[in-house]
Amino acid sequence: MVDSVFLALSVLTIGSAIVALEIRSLIYGSIALMLTLSGVAGFFLLLDAPFVAMFQLSVYVGSIAVLILFTVMLVRRELIFNKVEDKRRRYAGIVLMVVLMLGIGTIIIGSGLKTMDTNSSAVDYKKIGEDFLTYYSPALIVMALILASSIIGAMTLARREDVIDGQRAD
Amino acid sequence: MIEFTSTPIMLTLILGAVGVLIPVINVARKEKGSSVYGVIALGALLAAIGFVVYQILTKHVTPSAIFSSNVLVDDTFGSFFAIAMLIVGIMTTVGSFNYMRGRANPAVYYSLILLSSIGMILIAYSTDLVMLFIAWELMSIPTYVLAGYLKKDPSSNEAAIKYFLFGALSSGIIIYGISIAYGLTGSTNIEQVIVGFSKLGPDMMPLAILAVGMFIAGFGFKIGLVPFHMWLPDAYEGSPPTIAALLAAGTKKAGFAAVLRVIIMGAIALNLHWAFALAVIAIVTMTVGNLAAIKQRNLTRMLAYSSIGQAGYILIGLSVAPISPIGIQASLFHILNHSVMKAAAFIAVAGIVTTLGVTHIEKIKGLGKRMPITALGLTISLLALAGVPPLNGFWSKLMLFGSAIDAGHTLSWAPYLAVAGVLNSALSLAYYGWIIRKMYFEEGESNKRLKEPKSVIAVMIFSIIFIVGIGVYPDPVIEFAKSAVPIMSGLPSIH
Repeated sequence: MVDSVFLALSVLTIGSAIVALEIRSLIYGSIALMLTLSGVAGFFLLLDAPFVAMFQLSVYVGSIAVLILFTVMLVRRELIFNKVEDKRRRYAGIVLMVVLMLGIGTIIIGSGLKTMDTNSSAVDYKKIGEDFLTYYSPALIVMALILASSIIGAMTLARREDVIDGQRAD
Repeated sequence: MIEFTSTPIMLTLILGAVGVLIPVINVARKEKGSSVYGVIALGALLAAIGFVVYQILTKHVTPSAIFSSNVLVDDTFGSFFAIAMLIVGIMTTVGSFNYMRGRANPAVYYSLILLSSIGMILIAYSTDLVMLFIAWELMSIPTYVLAGYLKKDPSSNEAAIKYFLFGALSSGIIIYGISIAYGLTGSTNIEQVIVGFSKLGPDMMPLAILAVGMFIAGFGFKIGLVPFHMWLPDAYEGSPPTIAALLAAGTKKAGFAAVLRVIIMGAIALNLHWAFALAVIAIVTMTVGNLAAIKQRNLTRMLAYSSIGQAGYILIGLSVAPISPIGIQASLFHILNHSVMKAAAFIAVAGIVTTLGVTHIEKIKGLGKRMPITALGLTISLLALAGVPPLNGFWSKLMLFGSAIDAGHTLSWAPYLAVAGVLNSALSLAYYGWIIRKMYFEEGESNKRLKEPKSVIAVMIFSIIFIVGIGVYPDPVIEFAKSAVPIMSGLPSIH
């Protein structure tokens, strides 16, 4: 049962990730991205981490992907993208990916992971909260600074000086 | 829990508060002018470096610890990097005063430099993989924005997008490594991880090695180790030269702090034979960097390749660290020296860009007469990069190569590292000398002396004093680097 669910989720996640990268239409691409992110949430459910799965759904699928979709719909700039593609680079990328996947896959499958005990209980989210406020508290503070710097940086990059100057001239 | 008054927390508070406050002041303030934000940022950085020095002098800092049960440790190793990173931050901030004049969004520019500096400093203090990763992101995200700061310049856009994509890839690889380490050991604390690794059975060992390999690749992207270096020249060339200084002298060195905290300690504790792999990467990195630098005609690109080469020299000391006691000390000494030398060279280029608007090597002919102080600063930093005595770069390279020869008692191939290093230094002198020849021995378009940017002059004078001063009297800094070397005893090991 778990194996078939795992396989189905894998196909969904990886397939929609490839679609998200390859498809030309930004709207379909972002919908495919939502599917990928939901698939990852499914993996977390399989791994007995419902708390993380809910977060994955509410944060990534619920807000980030929807935000991307809104941005794409509000800013229709698909026409400005030129299709520049180098066939050889594309194949080189695929070959590199296959080599890396085979390498990492061989190591993981060849190791003793299969013999590990998998009957551990689900992660207690109270413990996660407690850890955040005790052991990881400096990391939490720094995380706030990361968010601040991301917002400051993103606003600066998105800001159009020419428009503001034009309005001032009026 | 780590104390509130410990160095890393106080540095985060000082720099973080000011870094977030500067854009707020910008919104509230009506009149234009960029210098005031630079001065505020400089004040915060000076206060921070003053605090670190005070903590060291009053012995509030513990001796260099490899591990701690907290996410951060207030030790001499972290303080050593904090001082190096803050010096780079100060040089970048001061060097930007003239460069930023008349450019858009100065407040955000200085604020992001401060926030990125916090990340660099915290990496060195981290003793937990999650903390290290978060500090890594705090260091990286502001620099992605800073690299693309010249929004209308296509090469700056290209630099930012390349740097961002490779940065995101490296973060992904690091977090993959962390997740494997956590899966194997059930902890993210570096001590627990390494102790856990040492207890693994032989069937699980390949996974642990995979995790360490992912750390090498992930950190290697930021450091610019070959073969993870391809983004680096484009990113340094396209970003504003002042930001190239921050990238080459700051983020790169913070990457070495992460390597030291995670990989080297792990390798020593696990008694792994990484030395040979790291040595091969060291030789390839320095050779590729220096060979590619010779072909360049653009000053920033040349310096970018030269910084790849320098990463190779630093790696010499790290690769012999398990055998030679002076390996890590030499690397730390070279990290501090290279931070100042490289930052000085890039700030000099920023001065040239501000005044003349050129970076091509043919266009700087006769610079010795037109911008004498900038040219002198650039010359001295280039000579120090090449390792010419009696400048500081000579001593740190001497120690690096010495550590390789010292390790020759145990590892028969280690002295070849020193040979490769000396040959590469000679090679690098070729292109450094070429820049110097263009500036002093070839006639330019005019010999009229130009007005040099004051802030660049200040940085040049500081770096000349630093480079020559440490070159003449290196002992205190060597002693400081020695005290920053983590104490190896008490490490778990499997034999």
